[in-house]
Amino acid sequence: MKGCGSAPFRVKKLVMIAAVWACLAFPPHAALGETPGTDTASPDLTALLTERNAALSRELRGIRREIAALRADLDKPGFQEVFGGIGYILGLFGAAAFAASRRRDR
Amino acid sequence: MHISDGVLPMSVTVGGYAASAALAAWSARRTRSETLPKVAVVTAAFFVASLIHIPFGPTSVHLLIPGLAGALLGPSAFLAVGLGLLLQSILFQFGGLTALGANALMMGVPALICGVFFQRLKGRTRSRQSIVGGIAGALGTAMAALILALLLAAGGEDFFGVAKIALAAHVPVILIEGAVSAFTIGFLARVKPEMLEPVFASGADGTHDTAPRDPSAHG
Repeated sequence: MKGCGSAPFRVKKLVMIAAVWACLAFPPHAALGETPGTDTASPDLTALLTERNAALSRELRGIRREIAALRADLDKPGFQEVFGGIGYILGLFGAAAFAASRRRDR
Repeated sequence: MHISDGVLPMSVTVGGYAASAALAAWSARRTRSETLPKVAVVTAAFFVASLIHIPFGPTSVHLLIPGLAGALLGPSAFLAVGLGLLLQSILFQFGGLTALGANALMMGVPALICGVFFQRLKGRTRSRQSIVGGIAGALGTAMAALILALLLAAGGEDFFGVAKIALAAHVPVILIEGAVSAFTIGFLARVKPEMLEPVFASGADGTHDTAPRDPSAHG
């Protein structure tokens, strides 16, 4: 940092760096919130968190059920299979009829 | 009611394939080429019928119409049912391919029996044909349920238990198929009664003819 500027500027910079370091090293107590193991400030907070967890698990369960239902729906035979099968049937019987008519003509 | 892969023991599947192959060959020989369009349409109907689901408690059962196919086609019914089952297995994944022989037996044999039953008892009046057709349709599925129990019993299950469950589960199907068959056969009897005539009647049995036949009309 040589040649950074005049001496008062350097002093101000040093003070600011020291202030930031102090805030990081010794943060004000209230800003942190609960440390694990201490229950002093809010039983409501833990209750809120548990309730939030329960609601989320319920939603997850509902979503899982939807996924299972979707999977079952995917397996159901659709229009494509129906038309494919009918096409197969008509084609096979048509070929058989053709062969039969050829046999008869001969 | 289709049996999946891995349910039946190997002996039953192989035996089922052997018997089905023999019956299919016989059925193909008895199929006359004039009836091929009719057989094709009934096969298509049988193929698509299994998409109609009827809710039954937590699951559902589906329509089968082996009885109606048998009543309409007579001996060709085994071929129609077998082909329909093959395509259902491949395209819809209904029933396993290894169990195809057993499935074909399970539905083809009732179809053939219902065909004979219908032709013997059908009579001449439209209402009687319709009623007999309805009974044939209902009997087809009931017999298929019994043969299902028989096949599973060969695999070690309890015959009566399976039979009871299968029949109970398919009671709505039996009723609906009886109604559908009665309606279809009644409709055909009104619109085109020749379609209900036995396909192998080339001079063999004249008592069921509703109209005088011209012998030269048979190819």
